[in-house]
Amino acid sequence: MLAEGLARDVILAALSTGGDFAEIFMEDTRGTQIRMLNGGVEEGVTGRDWGVGIRIFQGFRSVYAFTNDTSGANLLKVAGEAAAALSGAPQEGTLHLQRLRLEPLHPIRLDPKTIGHRDKVEMMKRAHWAAANYDPQITQVAITYMDTDQNVFIANSEGLLTEDRRVRTRLGIHAVASKGSEKQSAFRGPGRHMGFELFDHIDVEEIARDAARSAVTMVNADYAPSGRYPVIIDNEFGGVIFHEACGHGLEATSVAKGASVFSGKLGQKVASELVTAVDDGTIANAWGSLTMDDEGTRTRRNVLIEKGILTGYLIDKLNARRMEMEPTGSSRRQSYKFAPTSRMTNTFICAGESTKDEIIANTEYALFAKHMGGGSVNPATGEFNFAVAEGYIVRNGSIEKPVRGATLIGQGAEILQRIDMVANNLATGQGMCGSLSGSIPTDVGQPTIRVQEITVGGRKGAN
Amino acid sequence: MDIGEFREKVFAAGTRSGLGEMEIYVSRSENFRVRVFQKEIDDYSLSVEQGVGFRADYRGKVGYAYVETLDEESVNVLVEGAKANAQIIDSDDEIQFFAGSPAYPDVSTYDETLNRVSPQEKIEFTKALEAEAFAADPRVSMVNWAMTGSAQSEVHIANTKGLDQHFIRNGAYSFISAVAREKDAVKTAARFFVDHDWRRFDAKKLAQEAVHEATSLLGATSLESGNYRALLRHDVANDLLATFSSVFSAEAVQKGLSLLGGKMGQQIASPLVNITDDPLLSNMGASRPFDGEGVAARTKKVVEQGQLTTFLHNLKTAKKDGIASTGNASRASFKSPVGISPTNFFIESGGTEYVDLVKKLGDGIIIIDVQGLHSGANPVSGDFSLGAYGYLVEKGQIVRAVEQITVAGNFFRLLESVEEIGADLEFGSLGQGGHFGSPSLLIRELSIAGM
Repeated sequence: MLAEGLARDVILAALSTGGDFAEIFMEDTRGTQIRMLNGGVEEGVTGRDWGVGIRIFQGFRSVYAFTNDTSGANLLKVAGEAAAALSGAPQEGTLHLQRLRLEPLHPIRLDPKTIGHRDKVEMMKRAHWAAANYDPQITQVAITYMDTDQNVFIANSEGLLTEDRRVRTRLGIHAVASKGSEKQSAFRGPGRHMGFELFDHIDVEEIARDAARSAVTMVNADYAPSGRYPVIIDNEFGGVIFHEACGHGLEATSVAKGASVFSGKLGQKVASELVTAVDDGTIANAWGSLTMDDEGTRTRRNVLIEKGILTGYLIDKLNARRMEMEPTGSSRRQSYKFAPTSRMTNTFICAGESTKDEIIANTEYALFAKHMGGGSVNPATGEFNFAVAEGYIVRNGSIEKPVRGATLIGQGAEILQRIDMVANNLATGQGMCGSLSGSIPTDVGQPTIRVQEITVGGRKGAN
Repeated sequence: MDIGEFREKVFAAGTRSGLGEMEIYVSRSENFRVRVFQKEIDDYSLSVEQGVGFRADYRGKVGYAYVETLDEESVNVLVEGAKANAQIIDSDDEIQFFAGSPAYPDVSTYDETLNRVSPQEKIEFTKALEAEAFAADPRVSMVNWAMTGSAQSEVHIANTKGLDQHFIRNGAYSFISAVAREKDAVKTAARFFVDHDWRRFDAKKLAQEAVHEATSLLGATSLESGNYRALLRHDVANDLLATFSSVFSAEAVQKGLSLLGGKMGQQIASPLVNITDDPLLSNMGASRPFDGEGVAARTKKVVEQGQLTTFLHNLKTAKKDGIASTGNASRASFKSPVGISPTNFFIESGGTEYVDLVKKLGDGIIIIDVQGLHSGANPVSGDFSLGAYGYLVEKGQIVRAVEQITVAGNFFRLLESVEEIGADLEFGSLGQGGHFGSPSLLIRELSIAGM
């Protein structure tokens, strides 16, 4: 994308004031988004993102600049302006860039560019009708389709020069059920790091019906009781709780500065021994996967927690300096508009020994969170909150009735210790994770788990 | 090539390709940001970004495309992309390209003095912010965010019907988040300040506010579940207003996604409540002379003495309702299609000082922070269930801090149950397509889940 000679000159300009590391990240991204409401296409947008980010380190200091004007003269000017934030003499030595070619881990079979808009709309219509026809209480269905094709060029003062391509495709299904003036909605968003062959891997109609079923179930449900009691969190998107409440606290961004509850706890017991948790960016064609991270480091499988013992963090180059540890292939960014930092890829709790049926059968009273909504966490304190999108009350070993409006609040490290049953049904769900370096695709996942006690916010008094 | 030449090429290529009316929306922004950690510059960022959004009429349907680089290939991406996108549209909405309003208001959106504040001054301010936080209380163990930034953005809209409008806006902001620690307890609190006038940036005040709040929460415990009288501090009321502001969008109403549909002219809130959308305020975050379709901006009351007086419209929704656009067409960015958003959108101040609101609360709870707005609030139903922090109040006096609770309720019930409005209107951080403000609100009853 960028001539090697120019890349070298820009890196040297960036290092002209004493920086000890400089990096260029360039991208050319094409994308399509289509939005359908109640079976009719409302909007289609095609776009091209283009720009360059230049980053310089001096010790722990980091300077970042980006621009869309990628002419050689402007890149040299921007590198100079960014360098002006630092002071010192350039280091001795020459820079020789060595091209690195990595075998793509995530082959693309059907390039979305070669698929006509009408085929994309056809797929959306199938999802629409499956959800709309599910039940008369379904009053609205919105379907979104997106594909992106990101081509990146990364070069740095360590001599790296490499390119990577990331193609992703995702369908979003949003079903709304109504009863009188009340409405409840449910969302499903299957996606993969692949092209249009995504639709050979997923059953669009089944997923759409599941969204509709969830919305209808919730609109007819009573409010959840509030209080502190056991919670069973189902597999797949239930993993968002680990992602938010623990995963963010394992990112070097908060660990390196001692801002995380997990700082300084490597080798210590941080979770129930039933918990083994992994972040794995190498899973073939998974939504959060990459061949290399946004610093050009090969992705890998990082074991974060093994049988309750903290074994690893997610580390980017800058925080690797602070922590005196190796980068873990975890540095990500939404686009050239963001400096990269340590982020998750596909993060999940590994399968255990129990079955889901056993967990429910062995529970006297609990909230069963079948589908989680979003949530957020304060990394400094580990305090989190999550919405339960689809919940049930479990009583005397069986599911009694659906409940809505529940929120889970608590502290991530505490929850990890209180997991007392883990099922064998690991599955993942797709999300967009927003943090310092922007919004990025991540998989969350887990088997069905039981937590002894969580504070549940609801609208009814205690059971 | 420059933007003028690029525009000519796009319009010419579009005409050759059979497109009808065409419009480009160009935004260009320059941003500066510095973050300090342990007395050192931790993050320093500079950017210049430009983007071109394009929309065009093709056989009665509108198609969109955008690019960030102005080359020949991008001309093609815009023209062919918009054409392909127009061809799949089912919606029968009439597309409107606007030739321009007869006159545009004179709005102050640009403060030249801000450009004279050097990066060094912003760095020093941010270092002072961190230092003031440590100086404010020995229990401050870390300042996990001390950040200052400035931004300048230009918007230019031009179309084949003759519209050609432009404006420029600037502003600066500062953010601090302090961590306080005592024994096993760790609490954080944050403050955000945004203004165009650098003289109003006060590091000591901002740092102390964050620190006082963080330390005040150190002994916090939960609360017995039940219904409580509540005082929503201005920033919490503001968060809720911002989260639920889409209910005032005519687009949400016309699509059946707002429970305010059919309620025009009716009492939807306590008679004490007045809500205004004012793009003409000087130098506020969402001030502007024209909206995302080039329609002149104007001030309007959305709720007057509790009665719903208007929805927020763009040209498309206004035409459906047979009225004039309220000038609330939005382009969240050059990448986004035309939508609707508030501008400077706020609940008007009432007459009661904050300290008197606490007295009038009597026995109840002050809510000072809520978490989980993006997941625990449903803009369609108005229901919310959010993690919260606050203070327990007995006989008009704060007795202790409260944590590990959730507040649950409904935005519409909340508006109805406002008993008293504070005199402390403040605008919050920018986001969600508008700049929101609220005074503190005394609420008859909220459901709290705790122990």
